[in-house]
Amino acid sequence: MIAQASAGTESTLVIAPMLVALVTAVAALLVGHRPRARAVSSLAGGLGYAAAVAALAWVVVLAPDAPGIATYRVGGLRAPFGIVLVADGLSAFMLTMTAAIALSSLVFSRRYAAHSGPRTFYYPLFYFLLLGVTGAFLTGDLFNLFVWFEVMLMASYVFVAYYGGPRHTRAAFWYVALNLLASAVFLLGVGGLYATTGTLNMADLARRLADPAAYGIDTVPVVGLLALLLSVFAIKAGLVPFQFWIPTAYRAAPPPITALLVGATKKVGIYAIIRLSFTVFAGARVGVTLELPGTGIAVAGDTPLAFVGAALFVMAAASIVVGGVGAIGRETIEGVLAYSSIGQIGFIAIPVAIAATTSSAGLRRAAIVAALVYALNHTLAKGLLFLSVGTVRNATGTSRLAELGGLAGRSPPLALAFFVGSLALVGIPPLSGFFGKFLVFDAAARAGSAPILGLLLGGSLLTIAYATRVWNRSFWGVRTPAVEDADVDPVQLAVVLALALAILAIGVGFEPVYRFATAAADAALDAEAYVDAVAPSGGAGA
Amino acid sequence: MTAFVLALVVGALFALGTFLLLRRDLIRIVWGLAIVSQAANVYLLAMGGIVEGGFETVPVLAGHGEHAPETADPLVQALVLTAIVIGFGMTAFALVLSYRVYEEHDTLDASELGDRG
Repeated sequence: MIAQASAGTESTLVIAPMLVALVTAVAALLVGHRPRARAVSSLAGGLGYAAAVAALAWVVVLAPDAPGIATYRVGGLRAPFGIVLVADGLSAFMLTMTAAIALSSLVFSRRYAAHSGPRTFYYPLFYFLLLGVTGAFLTGDLFNLFVWFEVMLMASYVFVAYYGGPRHTRAAFWYVALNLLASAVFLLGVGGLYATTGTLNMADLARRLADPAAYGIDTVPVVGLLALLLSVFAIKAGLVPFQFWIPTAYRAAPPPITALLVGATKKVGIYAIIRLSFTVFAGARVGVTLELPGTGIAVAGDTPLAFVGAALFVMAAASIVVGGVGAIGRETIEGVLAYSSIGQIGFIAIPVAIAATTSSAGLRRAAIVAALVYALNHTLAKGLLFLSVGTVRNATGTSRLAELGGLAGRSPPLALAFFVGSLALVGIPPLSGFFGKFLVFDAAARAGSAPILGLLLGGSLLTIAYATRVWNRSFWGVRTPAVEDADVDPVQLAVVLALALAILAIGVGFEPVYRFATAAADAALDAEAYVDAVAPSGGAGA
Repeated sequence: MTAFVLALVVGALFALGTFLLLRRDLIRIVWGLAIVSQAANVYLLAMGGIVEGGFETVPVLAGHGEHAPETADPLVQALVLTAIVIGFGMTAFALVLSYRVYEEHDTLDASELGDRG
């Protein structure tokens, strides 16, 4: 059975990003007490990670005759018994995004970590966080997804408590408590799915759910179990009503880590929702009929997606409102940005919900592309903004809007970068944010729902309102004493400017990014290719 | 009978865990989290079924030839083992964290701690 010929492409490259992250984490732990070796090893690890991700994305997805999907069998064991890592367009897209933000925040950390905190463990934790995120994007097994979630979360717990002050310990306690509870719920979902379907391998799940009669599966409980998992992923993504931990946790963590939490950890939630909904559960057939009163969106089809779509619509709409309104009245820049990221995640979830409820294959694909492009823009723009706040706080010692003013005159390049980030968030051409917004609006228009369009418009107006407020209060106006003495760190400034340039570059040369996102959406929707590549044989007869 | 007892245990653990989670004392909340995790573990174990398995569920046994011993589902046991280790580590971390919270705030009362600021 183990000696059978395998379908799909196998590539050792799939495990490369994880190995780089793991090796660097251990190396950083070993040389942690020597500042120079610490800095060199961490930077080398970051570049190695980016190179591994780039190579993986190129060989598997982007090269002219790329296979589109590749697997790696850990220990050579076949699915569904062995652990299989799967890299396809969706994983590659997410990983590329993660590598970009990770490298930026790593270079940014060099100076930042030197100022305060238990420095020795900063880089090891950073790479364990990265390892968890990478594992979550690559794993082809539901229980392993749980394990990688935990790896990622453990590092983030420590980072939230990093400074150890009253505010930080309190934020960390609630963050840990909430996520432990979420982990228990995740286990319930996993256990239920195993009992119902007899497997936890995602490809095997997809295959069995598409043909429940052959495997003797009752598909009705699957919807409820999917609901459990959805709530867990919504906590990671910070969708309303699971958003309450975000502002405190994001303010407590060091700014480079916050950038990573927004750019990578949050996107793991979105990735898991997309992967499970469209690749794994889309094939299941259950009789669900739902209509959202007042939106004109009736749930089409008879898959669990109907439920996912309806739930996501409600959560996303609430996120846009809560995040947008909450961001307006905050007193610190981080506060505004943290609430803003609740609102922005709503903009990513809306197209996912549209994709889940539509019956048109073309619209479904377009909507997922919109969600991915928007996620990419959010990662870069919000990463840029959080790193800018870190720069501002390092330079002036504060991020309270009341104590800032006239930063634009003190450091024009920093102001320029922050301005670009804000505009990308609002969605002004030719920045990457424009295409994100445009594709999301386009998907909503094609779904033909006026209330959704209105909601998106309202959310965008709120974005303009709070972005303008932050800009006016901190970058324009009279210079405050704190700003007058500001000393902007050149390395940090360079990172922020590089991100601004990336946002502009993606906006100007959008075509290849769009093709990459389309490949990712195709990979997410093509459950058959996924099953073929993993080729689960036999199965545990539960 | 075993299924009935397992269901009862899982239910009782979840009830107890939820009760503790709703307390004001941070240590009780950590206890609640630990118990809910254990409840999830017992549930996970129960989900493997309590029917004895053979070749189909345990591929390693195929190497034993015709005389494979009967066994329970090993997969859930592997899963639970992993989950126990993770849960144990996290509980320890949460306890240390509550000690830090006590040091910083001089209280373990959740309502005095608040969640803002």
